Amino acid sequence: MSFALLMRLSLRNILRHRRRNAMLLAAIVVAVGGVTFMNSFIRGFQQDLRDSAVNNLTGHIKVFAPGYRDDPGIERSFYVAGDWRPDVSSGLLEGWAARIRIPAVIMSERETRGVQLVGVDPSQEGISFLGDAFYEGETLADENDKRIFVGQALVDQLDTKVGRRLVIITQGADGRNREAGFRIAGVYDAEGTGLEKAFVFTGRAALQKMLDTREVTEVSIRLTNDGAGSSVRSMLLSYFSGLEVMGWRELEPQIAAMFVFADTAIFIWFAIMMGALVFGLVNSLITAVMERVKEFGMLRAVGMRPGSVIVQVVIESSLLMMSGVALGLVVGWLLCQWMSEGLDLSQWASGVEMVGMRSVVVPRLYGADMMLVAGLSLVLGIVASLYPAWRAVKIKPLEAMRR
Amino acid sequence: MSEAAALPVRQAPRRSGDLLWKTAFRNIWRNRRRTWLTAGGIGFAVFLITSSISLQDGSYIDQRESATGLLTGHVQLVHPDYPDESKFEFFLGDLSDKLRAVRSAPGVVAATPRVQAFVLVSADERSFAAQVLGIDVAREAKIIRFFETLQEGEIPHAADEALIGTALARNLGAGVGDELVLLGSGRRGGVAAFALSVSGLFQTGIEELDRSLLLTSLATVQDGFGLSDEAHTIVVQGRGPLQARPLARELERTLGSSVRARPWQELMPEVEQGIELDRVSGDFMYGIIMILVGFSVVNTFIMVMFERTHEFGMLLALGLRPWSIIGMVQLEAFGLWVLGTLMGWLLALPLVIYFIVWGISFGDSMEQLAEQMYMPSSIHGAITVRAMLTAPVVMFFATQVAAFLPSLRIRSLNPVDALRQEA
Repeated sequence: MSFALLMRLSLRNILRHRRRNAMLLAAIVVAVGGVTFMNSFIRGFQQDLRDSAVNNLTGHIKVFAPGYRDDPGIERSFYVAGDWRPDVSSGLLEGWAARIRIPAVIMSERETRGVQLVGVDPSQEGISFLGDAFYEGETLADENDKRIFVGQALVDQLDTKVGRRLVIITQGADGRNREAGFRIAGVYDAEGTGLEKAFVFTGRAALQKMLDTREVTEVSIRLTNDGAGSSVRSMLLSYFSGLEVMGWRELEPQIAAMFVFADTAIFIWFAIMMGALVFGLVNSLITAVMERVKEFGMLRAVGMRPGSVIVQVVIESSLLMMSGVALGLVVGWLLCQWMSEGLDLSQWASGVEMVGMRSVVVPRLYGADMMLVAGLSLVLGIVASLYPAWRAVKIKPLEAMRR
Repeated sequence: MSEAAALPVRQAPRRSGDLLWKTAFRNIWRNRRRTWLTAGGIGFAVFLITSSISLQDGSYIDQRESATGLLTGHVQLVHPDYPDESKFEFFLGDLSDKLRAVRSAPGVVAATPRVQAFVLVSADERSFAAQVLGIDVAREAKIIRFFETLQEGEIPHAADEALIGTALARNLGAGVGDELVLLGSGRRGGVAAFALSVSGLFQTGIEELDRSLLLTSLATVQDGFGLSDEAHTIVVQGRGPLQARPLARELERTLGSSVRARPWQELMPEVEQGIELDRVSGDFMYGIIMILVGFSVVNTFIMVMFERTHEFGMLLALGLRPWSIIGMVQLEAFGLWVLGTLMGWLLALPLVIYFIVWGISFGDSMEQLAEQMYMPSSIHGAITVRAMLTAPVVMFFATQVAAFLPSLRIRSLNPVDALRQEA
């Protein structure tokens, strides 16, 4: 029996029960659309996690002196030549920055807090959150700028403002404490008060002068594509021999763990949805077979092979599934478009920050995820049709026609 | 005679009610495969939603306990200006009177004072900023879990001993037994300076605490900063985290306007918000699952309508009213719901018991993450009204609606046409 004929038979059978199949289709659309929509949020969340980890002065890859991570201090620093730049093709490299990052004590007339004092070259900081943070006052002009750039939350804690002076105490290269006054150039507003409380920025060269060093404590590199990490790493390892070169996954293991978990979550979510769908699917297909016992009996009697019976049922299921998946993907896509501004979670801002998300989650729809959902759904459609198809094959022509 | 003639007429509806139940029950078992599949769908939803909510609700309980139990307590009493600007000079006076009043207030299990200040801590050449917290060590050991995070050494016994975070210790290059010098600004701008020795190191997994907290005895900090019968905070432990808000209101009423009572939800908004976020995203997922299963129930009843058109035509011809038939179909839907719910509950029960008794522990990589979110290293399930009833109640209405929509057709069914249809 030709495939085209089987196709026509299946199609007609679907159209015979419009209401029922429309319901089934609606269920498939809700399932596929729901999975697509939810997945896009999981992806958006995942991306946010990585972006905020990478933005957090981490970068995709970072170079440190050995021991710095356990005991950060200017004595664990290294020299980077002024004309050095990462030997990475410009298409892969988004940017890089050499910084000094050391613990320090910051004091206003009223309050004292502990912070990380970061000496930066502002022109390099397009790669970190500093590059696009909102601020009040001025940013640092260049690496010789002796002023500081402070987070809003810290300014509140210290009860100070732009233009005032703060005293910073930190350890110099010789192990002795340095104490110096800094004027506040500007106050930045970062995503989340954690960053604002932690980081105080100043010019790198100015800080080097204060600490009596020519070295830096870290080089951070940001790539355009996370996947290129390993080749860049080996390049860095051979250049900075004796130093530690680490990717963001090692630097932020908790975020990396969540990142991996998000991949799994997509499958769990899919399995649950399809589990709920499969009952209705099998139910409809079995009914479709059982109400056609007579027909199948006749078809068998006029010579249809058992194989063709199976194919017919499988085609029916697959056709339903395919149209459902197609519509579902469109619905999911439309929902994502509708939500393209992002889902505003600022109502739960501190909770969101604790989990490492931003307060607006933008759904991200990936072709690969859509293909995965479509592929797995079609496989499920075929698997779900096997039992009904087997029932159809078991129909004995003679008995069936006698009914 | 007239009475006897009226009797069967009055009895008839009652009998037909019984009959409807019976017929409905039989109809459920007429197509067993379909019944099992439909009830299976309902059961799947009930199983999945019941067990997940049980775990969610249980984890919320664990998370609240763990968050409040670590250091914060249920309610903190502070100076009315302290919440806006946590400055040293906003402390509570007449501490012993206040403590006495708080301890005798209803619902208070324990209350203990704390003094806190930002200081410069030095060990040899190195100096870092830290928050020093002066506490009643012996009393606090009974009410907070903080001392369980001790990594090395012991909790402070003598007045001049201190506990510091592992990260702070690393930064200072100090270990157990080493001497620390604290420098801060005391009352009325005076300088507060005193020395402490490290008795132990703690590690909570919460970076801010590990990096900048120093714990020592209340008396030492009070003396060092020139406080007498004064403290910044009175930490109150009530009967449970959920009673914190009413307890805070009650304490504010008792103590008057000289004190602000802050429940832990205000002190750690991230915990309650994280819970809320988790709950909302869970509800979204449950909603979709129930819609899916709802569709499959609608489908079942569309099939029922289709197959039994002949039968319904006959019932109409026999004189049954359309609404009685619809009622019967609703009863069938009810039967399916009972079956599905029981299946779902039976399946969920062992899992829920497992969650309650053994719980789920996080892997190594997630454990640190859990700590950061004030989660214990394993979470347990709980039997709550929300867990047990959400899915059954929603599914009850869903099945009723799902059966009702297709069966509305019965109203416009013409018995003659219906009877002509193939059985």
